[in-house]
Amino acid sequence: MIHAMHIPDGFLAPQVALGLWVVMLITLALALRQLRTTRRSATRPVLMGIAGAFIFAAQMFNFPVAAGTSGHLLGGVLAAVLLGPWAGAVVMTTVIGIQALLFQDGGLLALGANVVNMGVIGTLAGGGVARGISVTLGGSTRATIIGAGVAGWLSVMAGAGIATIELGLSGTTNIAIGLPAMLGTHALIGVGEALITVAALSFIATSAPDLLPSKAQSTTPGDAATQSASPLRRVVIGASIVLLTGGLASLFASTSPDGLTKVATDLGFIGATKRPPFELLAGYTIPGLDGAAARLVAVGIGAAAVALVLLIITRIAGRTRKGGQ
Amino acid sequence: MVAALSAVFGLALLPAGAYVAYLVVWLGVTLAAALTGIKPLALARRGFVALPFVLAALPLVFTRHDELLWSGSVNGVSLTISGAGLRILLSAAAKAWISVQISLVLIARHPIESVVGSLRRMRLPDALATGIGLTVRYLDLLRDEGLRMLRARASRSASPLGDGRIRAGGSLRWRARVTGNLAGALFLRAYARAARIEEAAAARGGTGSLSIGTEVPADPRLVAGLAASIIMVVTIVVVGSLLPQW
Repeated sequence: MIHAMHIPDGFLAPQVALGLWVVMLITLALALRQLRTTRRSATRPVLMGIAGAFIFAAQMFNFPVAAGTSGHLLGGVLAAVLLGPWAGAVVMTTVIGIQALLFQDGGLLALGANVVNMGVIGTLAGGGVARGISVTLGGSTRATIIGAGVAGWLSVMAGAGIATIELGLSGTTNIAIGLPAMLGTHALIGVGEALITVAALSFIATSAPDLLPSKAQSTTPGDAATQSASPLRRVVIGASIVLLTGGLASLFASTSPDGLTKVATDLGFIGATKRPPFELLAGYTIPGLDGAAARLVAVGIGAAAVALVLLIITRIAGRTRKGGQ
Repeated sequence: MVAALSAVFGLALLPAGAYVAYLVVWLGVTLAAALTGIKPLALARRGFVALPFVLAALPLVFTRHDELLWSGSVNGVSLTISGAGLRILLSAAAKAWISVQISLVLIARHPIESVVGSLRRMRLPDALATGIGLTVRYLDLLRDEGLRMLRARASRSASPLGDGRIRAGGSLRWRARVTGNLAGALFLRAYARAARIEEAAAARGGTGSLSIGTEVPADPRLVAGLAASIIMVVTIVVVGSLLPQW
């Protein structure tokens, strides 16, 4: 089982650790305030307490990926979808705190960092992405499950990336080497998280569909996930998610030639290629900009273009629907 | 808990390479453990739980180029070993090892139930206090339930590797789905249990808040304890900076 994201004490600089404690406390205070005003049934204290024990136990469920390696659940996105993001954040904070106290899985001073990396990102950011995808795809149960799967992968990647940056800021790792290594490993772990999250939600959707938020059932008056989103809102949410996914994926963009380019070079016909009459974002970069920033801007432009096309298609679909009525 | 956090904080503030200071702090932790009845060797062995994380700091030994201890090539790959990188690695490992022992002593001296009780006395919001208390109380029960499910899975379907290292239990996707199904089934059982607890509490006139956790009497020496914790942090840092470093 891999617990690479539970940072022990001794690896974070005190100022980084204390800063993340402050972030954790602010998030916890906001979450508790939100829970006081929410009337969603999943935010009952008893259910949240038992859900903490459930997440703890569910993290034991591992499945063999290869000899000696297994995937297992972190559970942030699962908690966010089942209980709501704020209740999920409180539950994950409880779980990570007890893991540090009882099992020394993660440090006491590093608790803030671990809660931010696995709890806050998994539930608030992951839950937000899951909800965004669900709204974009129409808010059905199937859309919720697809959103949770994508958010599961993203939350693992984002958590691993931020953990590496925290260690880099503390001077205990080299970000240039650590980030690709951590993201590369967690890209696979994230797939395990996504598969288990999707399977768990599918099982619950089949056995007890009323426990899952969907467009058909209202959980909270005014809950955005349960309302039909406007086409523009769907496109904006979808484009934001594409930007986030593309931004993370762009960090993997290799500077080495791809397979076809390599073969063309080896066989000597690379010079025979003709350049197109015009090029947009050639090599996924912006002229005058280098490195990761250029790739992120290129992804942003690409996402905006996709959003524009989606918006036009949605408008056309809307007009066609109106014309047919 | 405040004392344990202060000790870990003081240790984190110590500079890299202050090995004598680490030793002094470790001896202090060992003494506290001995007073609780924990054998130093057993404590030291359990402290190694965090050490696999040193892999995160390992690249520093080879990527930093200050205080070079060795440079050469291995199989055509040029390598350097940095003294500064090695110091950071060893310091982080030592701090992690000692910090784990500090939290082990905390939990040995104060069972988790009393920690929860203390948090409740510190006027922790009810939703959080009840949540923590219930998580702790039902942890073993749901873990046992989960272990039974895993045993059933291993004996009937998705064992990691079959006899003669032949992969058993279907494709990777199938195994992931089965694992997810187990998690889903466990959630439904947890949900049903939560409903039963709520019904039982409501029948007794409960309002949703459960007083879980050993009630800890108010400690009149709280201010003195806090002052001692601050003095401990300052002492660790000052003495640590005076002791020799490498």
